[in-house]
Amino acid sequence: MERRTFLTGTAAAALMSQMPIRIAAAQDKVIKFAMPQDFTKVYTFVTAEYNQGQRDYISLVNARGGINGYQIVADVSDHGNDQPRAIEAYERAKAGGAVLIDPLSTPVARALVPRALEDKINLITAFSGRSDAADGSVFPYVLPLSPNYWTQAALLIDHFKQKDGGSLQGKKICFVHIDTPFGKEPLPILEKLAEKEGYELVAFPYTPPGNDQSAIWPQVRRARPDWTMFWGAGVGQTVALTEAIRNGLPMDRVSSSVWLSESDMDVVGAAAATGVLKVEPCVSGREPKLIQDILKEVVGPGKGAGPENKVGTAYYNYGVMLAAIMVEGVRKAFEKAPDGPITGEWLNAGLTSISNFEAEGLIPPTTVTPEDHQGGGKARIAHWDGSKFAPDSDFFTANQDVVWEEIKKSSAVFKETGK
Amino acid sequence: MDWLLVAELAINGIFIGLMYALVAAGIVLIYKTSGIANLAQGALAMTGGYAAWAFTALVGLPVWLAIPIALVVMFIFGSLLERFALRRMVGQPIIMVIMLTLGLEIMLRGVLPGFFGAAVKKLDIGISPSPLFLGDIFINKATLIGGCISLGLILLAILFFNSRLGVIMRAVSDDQTASWSVGIKVERAIAIAWGLAAVMATTAGVLWGATQGIDWSLSLLLIKALAIAILGGLDSLPGVLIAGVVVGLAESLATGILDPIVGGGTRDVVASVIIVLTLLIRPYGLFGREHIERV
Amino acid sequence: MFFRRAGIRHTRYQSERQIWPLPFDRRLAILLFLFALAAPFLLDRLHLVGYLLPWIIWSTAALGLNFLMGGAGQIHLGYGALIGIGAYTTVHMTRAGMPFEIALIGGGLLSAAVGIVFGATALRVKGIYLAMATLAMQYIVDFVIVQFPAISGGTQAALTVPRVRFLGIPVVGDLPSYYVALAVCVIVTLFMLNVKRSSFGRALAAVREKDYAAAVIGVNTFRFKLTAFWVSSFIAGVVGGVLAVCYYRTISPDQFHLELSIQLVAMVIVGGLGSVLGSFFGAALIMFAPIVINQLIGSLAVALGLAISADLRAHLPLMLYGALIIGFLLWEPLGLAKIYANIRNYFLVWPFRHARH
Repeated sequence: MERRTFLTGTAAAALMSQMPIRIAAAQDKVIKFAMPQDFTKVYTFVTAEYNQGQRDYISLVNARGGINGYQIVADVSDHGNDQPRAIEAYERAKAGGAVLIDPLSTPVARALVPRALEDKINLITAFSGRSDAADGSVFPYVLPLSPNYWTQAALLIDHFKQKDGGSLQGKKICFVHIDTPFGKEPLPILEKLAEKEGYELVAFPYTPPGNDQSAIWPQVRRARPDWTMFWGAGVGQTVALTEAIRNGLPMDRVSSSVWLSESDMDVVGAAAATGVLKVEPCVSGREPKLIQDILKEVVGPGKGAGPENKVGTAYYNYGVMLAAIMVEGVRKAFEKAPDGPITGEWLNAGLTSISNFEAEGLIPPTTVTPEDHQGGGKARIAHWDGSKFAPDSDFFTANQDVVWEEIKKSSAVFKETGK
Repeated sequence: MDWLLVAELAINGIFIGLMYALVAAGIVLIYKTSGIANLAQGALAMTGGYAAWAFTALVGLPVWLAIPIALVVMFIFGSLLERFALRRMVGQPIIMVIMLTLGLEIMLRGVLPGFFGAAVKKLDIGISPSPLFLGDIFINKATLIGGCISLGLILLAILFFNSRLGVIMRAVSDDQTASWSVGIKVERAIAIAWGLAAVMATTAGVLWGATQGIDWSLSLLLIKALAIAILGGLDSLPGVLIAGVVVGLAESLATGILDPIVGGGTRDVVASVIIVLTLLIRPYGLFGREHIERV
Repeated sequence: MFFRRAGIRHTRYQSERQIWPLPFDRRLAILLFLFALAAPFLLDRLHLVGYLLPWIIWSTAALGLNFLMGGAGQIHLGYGALIGIGAYTTVHMTRAGMPFEIALIGGGLLSAAVGIVFGATALRVKGIYLAMATLAMQYIVDFVIVQFPAISGGTQAALTVPRVRFLGIPVVGDLPSYYVALAVCVIVTLFMLNVKRSSFGRALAAVREKDYAAAVIGVNTFRFKLTAFWVSSFIAGVVGGVLAVCYYRTISPDQFHLELSIQLVAMVIVGGLGSVLGSFFGAALIMFAPIVINQLIGSLAVALGLAISADLRAHLPLMLYGALIIGFLLWEPLGLAKIYANIRNYFLVWPFRHARH
């Protein structure tokens, strides 16, 4: 009998505690950023460090007194790339008065686009989400604020062209990608540029998550490409790089998207992967002034949001970059409407008026306008020199005409049909 | 038809199939002795990988010492698992036991990355990344070594079943009540089977972890291992060997030959198609024993 | 004392064979139904859209799966794929211009067709082998949906649901979506409550217990197993359509993967195999536990000043989810429905505890 009563008592208690718990937040002078992100499923390789960077920067801003006396509150939770949980997190954020939401997940961002447009909450889709959201006239409340995948692919092709003496005519470029929408995304741009520049594009998709690519890379090797791009995430990246090294491909002709970091290099072998290229949207390492400030004012006093050895890594800096742009948007919003009620629209006006913002040397001059939500599409190519990522070029932008053609085409489809 | 490419894919496919077969061998071992299909085998491989990494990175032991210690720890872990979780489920309908192992898998997938961190971890067992060439055919050194180790372990397991302990296990898998009546300690045999399965899973976890890094996706080895186990027969170890080669070959060749036609992604569906075909044509696998149910 | 069996006498067979012979149960059921009807006016939007609506939809799915697993005794690890098929069919049919009601039925029919193709393996194998066959179905359906852009919607692979009208009312906004989901749920619940009392349900029970013994006494196992798969898959298809239109509004292939199938099986088992009420309880627990735990841990961390790393916090719901499944299977295999029945029986004879049977 005791077991039964114990069980039923526990069950009754558990049922009672199912009441949703609300944390009473000080409602006076706060601006809420909601950050439900994927800590457990697909984006695990990037989310922890990215989020750490965001929170550290926001702590820095708050420690300096906030913006105009307002503190910024980052509401972090895990949606596990699961739609219902993401929608629930979005609704909770909305009910809590968030003016900005950063899900860092392509499927979640896509699902939230119609809701964000309707509810007028700023949806930040950094390095993810819909590439055509750069078109601010169709997606007023969706802001990538970072070079999207089309731009990254365009930049890489341009870099290859420069390296090969100004012409890719007759060359062969292999594109190894994960067989998901994210992996297939650069394909239209690469094919367009193949026609324009005259190179041959060979695509090799691998099944997600990509922990077994042993059948792909021998084929790449046999194709004897002049340049190789691998486009994956997390485990797919490390395995791709390991296989590329094992198959004897020259590292300085192999490049990745933005998703390559020091911990990936660690897994693959720092010395073996020397020379591999990646797209860098912001300065990496600990030299930029903002990172130094964070080390001094936030991590030093022990208020860092994560382990100290992750400060200054690639994904950490991406987080700082995005947070810096978001806070700059808040500052601009205050300039435009100093006592305006803190709403999504108010922040949107600020975000779309950022001009030539450099975050004290961390990012290329970024200008966001109501038509261009990408921020100019500037990034640079960096290579791994054995211990860190060293820049191969300055911040530049290229082939934006081709990219914007695709963006306009795709956003027009969305505008007409809502699809 | 590029025959060299086919040969290359075939050779690498066979070795990769053998590496998957190591996980499948654990499943077969458990099914043979306790009649349960252990869906947490992939998670056990992941746990083993994390254990090995923890002993190298956190405790600071050299790799050749950390791996045996991890094997011992995982053996104990497997036996404890059986003792505390599975023994209570004796006699329950099979769906409950399957769900229990699934729940175990989910919990392990939460506990390990939660406490050790979700970033991909490095495990270096000393295989150099330089390529190995046989003529113009490229052989992946890591899969070569992995495949050979797996082959060795599975052959060892087959031989083991002829030893005294192995005969005890075969008796237990045949008829538990009869084994009890002749004095065999059935519970101990089952616990040892679980421990050995965990050891095999750990080896697989270490081998795969050396290639791809240790993170939660190691638990995805389960699906391929299940396909191999079903194709070979859920209670036949030699079947695992042959089925491993077949599945590895089929996957590799499918990726190389079918992918350009279909546009990608055939690798995973090959395993599923093999499962469905096996179940429709020969439900008990190539070498499995038929399960006769009496009213 | 609160409600009792004593003093309730039936004078007709019909009244004895009611689903709820006790007036307390009847009144409780009616009260809950009225609350469900009035919920949009009583609850705020967050609770309605974030909690109540998904709970109703997932309970319907769990009911469909419970019919197959608890009623007919078959294992199904591919239910998520069937829901996905239903969702995609409904969306494509509405995009092609068909009315929503027809599209829902169409989604259900296609799911049922695919369901019995793979369910046919149930006629050859049982137990773990059937679980593997349905697992294989999950992967094959995943592959087919992703590989054919015609189905999944092009390289962007997220299909937006167009505006639809249900019985003339446009399903736009929260209220109509909620009522559509509620209507489907009520229909399925009524079906589940009554199926056990019909000859179909009894035949399924015979097949579930020992199928060759049932064949011996004349129950056509072939036909009944296939019909069970058909009905269950049809419900899955309809739930998929409702899910797409009323909740997600854009669908992409990765919403219907193996995790969804395992979640549904967990809901059914934690709730209690074969029990209607259990499906609701199971759906609620599996759905809400991660959210509640997250908030609990968050507030605890803030209150006690603990520094729990974000990684650990994010993985705690997974740990809890696995622990819940294991805990229920080890200590209460009959699930939440049994716990509820225990509570109910306790109050049935309270305060005369010694009279408990």
